[in-house]
Amino acid sequence: MTTASAPAVEVQNVSKWYGSVVAVNEASFDIYPGVTGILGPNGAGKTTLLSMMCGLVKPSRGSVRVLGQEVQGNIALYRRIGVMLEHDVLYPFMTGRDFVRLAARLQGMNDEAAVDRAIHAANLEDAQHRPTGTYSRGMRQRIRLAGAVVHEPDVLILDEPLNGTDPRQRVEFGDFVARLSSQGKAILISSHILEEVESLADRILLVVSGKLAAAGDFHAIREKLDERPFQVRIGASKQREMAAALVALDAVESVSLVESGSIEVLTRNVAELQRMAPRLAQDIGSRLYRIEPLDDSLESVFSYVVQR
Amino acid sequence: MLALRQAVTRRKIALLIILSLLPLGLAVILDSTAAEGGTLIGAVLGELVISVTLPITVMVLATGAFGNEVEDRTLSLLTTKPVPRWTIVLAKFAATVVVAAPLMAVVAAVITTMDPDGAGNAPLAAAIGVVVGVMAYASAFTWLGLLTTRALGFGLVYVLLWEALITRFLSGTHYLSIRSYIFGTAHGINDVFGEDLTIAMTPALVGAALVTVVFFLLTVRRLSRMDIQ
Repeated sequence: MTTASAPAVEVQNVSKWYGSVVAVNEASFDIYPGVTGILGPNGAGKTTLLSMMCGLVKPSRGSVRVLGQEVQGNIALYRRIGVMLEHDVLYPFMTGRDFVRLAARLQGMNDEAAVDRAIHAANLEDAQHRPTGTYSRGMRQRIRLAGAVVHEPDVLILDEPLNGTDPRQRVEFGDFVARLSSQGKAILISSHILEEVESLADRILLVVSGKLAAAGDFHAIREKLDERPFQVRIGASKQREMAAALVALDAVESVSLVESGSIEVLTRNVAELQRMAPRLAQDIGSRLYRIEPLDDSLESVFSYVVQR
Repeated sequence: MLALRQAVTRRKIALLIILSLLPLGLAVILDSTAAEGGTLIGAVLGELVISVTLPITVMVLATGAFGNEVEDRTLSLLTTKPVPRWTIVLAKFAATVVVAAPLMAVVAAVITTMDPDGAGNAPLAAAIGVVVGVMAYASAFTWLGLLTTRALGFGLVYVLLWEALITRFLSGTHYLSIRSYIFGTAHGINDVFGEDLTIAMTPALVGAALVTVVFFLLTVRRLSRMDIQ
């Protein structure tokens, strides 16, 4: 178990580049026991960061320490680290149970009870004797998770663990992670989906274009995200009258008519806009065709945080 | 066991059977039809089995030992466990040797038996020479499979240019040829392999051991230092 005061993972001035491509640029942060989410759009450098924390990738500059030790080349440290990387890889000829048993044996354990516990935690008792080649995507994720935790590691590194899981499995996964967290373990979860991490992590690291854009309490960062203005396109008849009515709303910051015949609205309260726009249209006798956000991509959300 | 299971896929088994049956079938045909079958059967062993079939068989198995895991990204399943890198390399190396050595040794021994000159312990000599060659090739090709994703291409160029051509005609280079180590070892046991002898048994065994150990260590070093995605 890790101690609450000491960081489980220390990343100091870490950069990683492949030729002229910079994957991670001067990242520094500490990770403490509890659940930390590493959030960023695809290609932001999350997997490279996690791979360096696992000792699979050597930083071009800087250092990564796990549980107070250099991780690169420190094979003994893997007894205290559980890893589940993004790539959906398994040995398809192996049954789920054999896969978890192999993970245990590679950890130097010959403990069928530990295998049972890990499979139970992954809720795969019924499918444990089937070859993993026959598993669904969600089952594959769960058996990989069982393999990552079978030795009860102090630090658990999970890259996109919720890919391919259904809502019920996400809830179960959340409970599972909460249990581990309550035992004082440090858990890192990467995701490119904000809402996925929101329900799991106490603290987040925002990574954009290889840089650490923000780090800290999830709710503080979420507030920043919620403050940003959203661009929304509204398709309606009687555009000028509709635009005039919209600009009078408190939720609306600005309105412009675009060449395509639509109205583009800048707002900090999309929900209010969605609620009010049909009423306004009805009042002025306009027909409302559509209301669609223009920049709701994760990249634009993260870019906003970076600019702030 | 995992390394062995990964080494023996259906496609590889089919390829190994073809590579084994081809020289055996040719030897049987020559044995039954040719007037001077003995000489030609010797050529099948030297020119086909030892120069082509053996290195290609080992190459297919050994380059895939790590190459396939790098390609399908299962290598991280092993390298994020507290397992010394040398034991991972040893398992891959051993899987190749366990599959290729008995197969090629039997092929070489059977073909030698068909040769009228292949009396006494000649089949055993051929088999031992082949096992020495399998180990040296396995170590070199395992390293190559971890070094590049184009290991099969580079391996073929090495076998066909270096082993089958340059070291046979360029004076001095045969000391750096696994093919020479195979013949040198076999000749040390039975002099029927003297026609193709290029080096004596002792330097042959030392050379094969050096190749095996050096490439084994290079593979361990590479696995310890490379970025694994």
